[in-house]
Amino acid sequence: MKKGVLWAGLIGVFLGLTAWGGPALNNLIIGATQEPDQLNPWEGAADTKENILALLFIGLTYFDIHGNLLPGLATEVPTGQNGRLRVIYDAAGNFVRQEVDWTLRDDAFWSDGVPITTDDVVFTFEVQNHPLIPVTFRTFSNKVQEIIVKDKKNFTIIYNSPNPFYANPSGRIGLARFYDIAPKHVWEPIFREAIREAQAQPDKAADIITAKFLGADPATGRDPGKVVGSGPFRFVEWVKNQYIQVARRPDFFLMPPGPAENYVQEVIVRFIIHEPTLLAALFAGELDATDDIALSGYDPKVLSAQGGGMFRVEVFPSGFIEMLNFNHFGHPRYAPEGCQIARDLLLHDVRTRQAIIMAIDREALAEAVFPGAIVSNSFVVRGDIGYNPDLIHWPYDPEKAKALLAELGWADTDGNGVLDRITPDGRKVEFRLPHVTTPAPFRMRTQELLLEYLAEVGIKLEPSTLPAAVLFSTEFINRGFLCSWPGIIEYAAGGGIGEVPADEISGELWADDPATPVPLDNVPRPENAFAGSNVRGHVHEEYDRLHFLALSEFDLGKRAEIIKKMQVLFNWELPFIPLYERVEIVMSKVGLANYITGSAITRTPFWNAWMWGWSERGAVPVY
Amino acid sequence: MDPWGREANPPPGLVSHPRVFAFLVRRLLSAVPALFLLSLVIYALLALKPGDPLDELRFGNPGFTFEDYQRLVKLYGLDKPWYLRYWYWLGRALRGDFGPSRRYGMPAAEFIFRHRLPNTLLLSGLAMVAAFVVAVPAGVICALRPHSLLDYTVATLNFLGISVPVFWLGIMLIWIFSVRLGWLPAGSMGTPGLEAESGWAYLVDRLRHLVLPVFALSAIQMATWTRFMRSSMLEVINQEFIRTARAKGLSERYVVLKHALRNALLPIITLVALAIPGIFSGAVLTETVFNWPGMGRAIYDAILANDFNVSMVALMFISTLILLFNILADVAYALVDPRIRYD
Repeated sequence: MKKGVLWAGLIGVFLGLTAWGGPALNNLIIGATQEPDQLNPWEGAADTKENILALLFIGLTYFDIHGNLLPGLATEVPTGQNGRLRVIYDAAGNFVRQEVDWTLRDDAFWSDGVPITTDDVVFTFEVQNHPLIPVTFRTFSNKVQEIIVKDKKNFTIIYNSPNPFYANPSGRIGLARFYDIAPKHVWEPIFREAIREAQAQPDKAADIITAKFLGADPATGRDPGKVVGSGPFRFVEWVKNQYIQVARRPDFFLMPPGPAENYVQEVIVRFIIHEPTLLAALFAGELDATDDIALSGYDPKVLSAQGGGMFRVEVFPSGFIEMLNFNHFGHPRYAPEGCQIARDLLLHDVRTRQAIIMAIDREALAEAVFPGAIVSNSFVVRGDIGYNPDLIHWPYDPEKAKALLAELGWADTDGNGVLDRITPDGRKVEFRLPHVTTPAPFRMRTQELLLEYLAEVGIKLEPSTLPAAVLFSTEFINRGFLCSWPGIIEYAAGGGIGEVPADEISGELWADDPATPVPLDNVPRPENAFAGSNVRGHVHEEYDRLHFLALSEFDLGKRAEIIKKMQVLFNWELPFIPLYERVEIVMSKVGLANYITGSAITRTPFWNAWMWGWSERGAVPVY
Repeated sequence: MDPWGREANPPPGLVSHPRVFAFLVRRLLSAVPALFLLSLVIYALLALKPGDPLDELRFGNPGFTFEDYQRLVKLYGLDKPWYLRYWYWLGRALRGDFGPSRRYGMPAAEFIFRHRLPNTLLLSGLAMVAAFVVAVPAGVICALRPHSLLDYTVATLNFLGISVPVFWLGIMLIWIFSVRLGWLPAGSMGTPGLEAESGWAYLVDRLRHLVLPVFALSAIQMATWTRFMRSSMLEVINQEFIRTARAKGLSERYVVLKHALRNALLPIITLVALAIPGIFSGAVLTETVFNWPGMGRAIYDAILANDFNVSMVALMFISTLILLFNILADVAYALVDPRIRYD
């Protein structure tokens, strides 16, 4: 009997232990489905790394929920009005140079107490431009001619070509990826040593840089004291594959309303890669909130119902557009080479693409596969300053689609339900349209629906899937010219994010840079070793002209007008069918204040981490 | 020589088994070229797979241009043919340097052997022990009471254990014990912030996190081994030497444990031995559902992300183990079965 009681007691204690978090300890436990590889600020990576870096670092500027650009480490955002931005043209109106003055805040300190100065800025820039350092982007840093240091707090960046995105934190304008500045006193000895070793052993340079610089203690957290940042929290611990823990910095210069003690003092980001397990942990009370990507594709209504009133479900535009991309390499400009299957299907003819968009009930499809998503007609997301609301909304009209296809010579001559036509060289071809995408459940459901919609107008969809690693490999996606994907490839890309036309989708749409002698330099073909981002092969001279015009236009209003014109061209031409703007979901416990994403520009609730707090602890909800 | 003119069984021990010892040396030497060949094939398969280590960067970063891509390809030496990269990798691997993980920025060997292998050993090892501890008595009891209610109940549970997919079982366990009852954590290895210095609290916390994944992982083995144990025991229990033992007046307990069980265990031990290399390679589904960072997920993620060095370390380690266990199994046969000769 005594033994039984003892065992029962032990089991009771064993089962009764619960994880502690939330308002009781004034901390916040966030669930994420991805884990950063490391925390070095030199390399871009997955969204989760951006989020963690947002806890540890703050840039010179940051966007708020309304899309306003606010000063972070800088005292103010440079503009023409405050005299900090100067664009110099010669007498003929040609660009000469651009100068941007920045001043660092006096009260900006690293998390180890060292002041943040221009020495850090110059060092960061040196690392960014070192040929042995594999930083992800140099697109904009290549435009930087030099950095002139005036004193410990003031510096000027000189650009040798126009950079209208000079102040945008995701504009990659010359310093680290998110405009983060790295602590020189921590990274410099590591950098010098790694470079010295790499130069001594050139055949092992990349491995040395990877292990000794990118994977050094300040990036991996092996020695927590060396992970030094400029952001609202200081690094505490990283248990690999489990969680990262950070603690509030009392000396951070941006403060929430009221005493800082009223806001969360500690944040733990737990990595749970399996979404159902993460949801279970959330509903079991082990998590207080999710990040912005963990619940992608879930139905917000279902989540709300499952949450039983204990959670707030925020649905926000992700800034990503799901696209049906056509292979345009059948266009006569590529003949006799290019993709013959796409040529036979006349995918290069605008009428084919217009027929296909009208054959699809996009509203019903969006509702069925991505609840909450909004049908799109543009390559720019709603809410962006350049978004054009006055575009053609291609209706679901199978009869018009059939008429357009008939106009192109398609007819079901053998009565098998699939359109066919005779090509100029006398071959009979059927409209069998290959469609390839990743095996995500919502995309496979899309394939099922497309199969039905297109069958109605006589097009036989031939669906297939490939793992993302294969689909997005350059050997596949960049080989449309060779018919690696001869029909449609479906994926999503970022459209807008406050920096059109420097965003991902418009970067894929232009074909030819008039400033270079190389023809169609952005279209992957054998002539350019399949380099370039315009994987579809669509070419439109006027679009290209407007694209480069916008890239050098400093006036935001004028730039927006140019981008609106680009969208009109896009909307008629349909180089791809924009299916819908994706939405993301964030769940958080009721009572957690200021944990909000709000817009496609902030894209993450981590933009204002210093304001997170529990209402019952006295935190003031601002957003 | 024994009375029938055969060589007397030599005493146990490798040194006193010169033929076995020579066989062992021969097999170990022949494993070396096999490992080389394996490493070449694995490297070639990884390198020829579509995609490269930079694809993740390329598609995870809006604005990553083709110029950026080409710059990094050159920097990482990805512009060189795969066989040259293999040669370079082999030269360093022979010196014990398996290169860094491109994703994690740490030595690939450290990532596998320090961060992943111990977790896998803990989970898979405990699952195997649990399966063995439950399966053997369950199989024995069912064999001793065939066609009883207990036998049918265990058979039904076995059927479920074998046929229920582990990911479904895992999710159901989490739903019942974590979400509905709140008794056990929904995954991961421990409660964040609880340090090893916490002593008992830390140990109990670890155990709580192990209960569900160990149960889910051991379910199939438990069911399979119970079935084997039952049939093996049934076969032994009806043999003449058991009847003789009973006729001698030995107690039933003694007959079952001393005579029947020892003989019935032999096929189970073979099964367990064959399952041992699996302990090291991890279980992708269980690790994924329970958020357990083990070898299975490490290999899966490394292959998908084209993290060549990590993939190579893990796959070569598992290949080596399989070769080694095959050799050990052959040697073990020689040691336990005098009919096997190694000329």
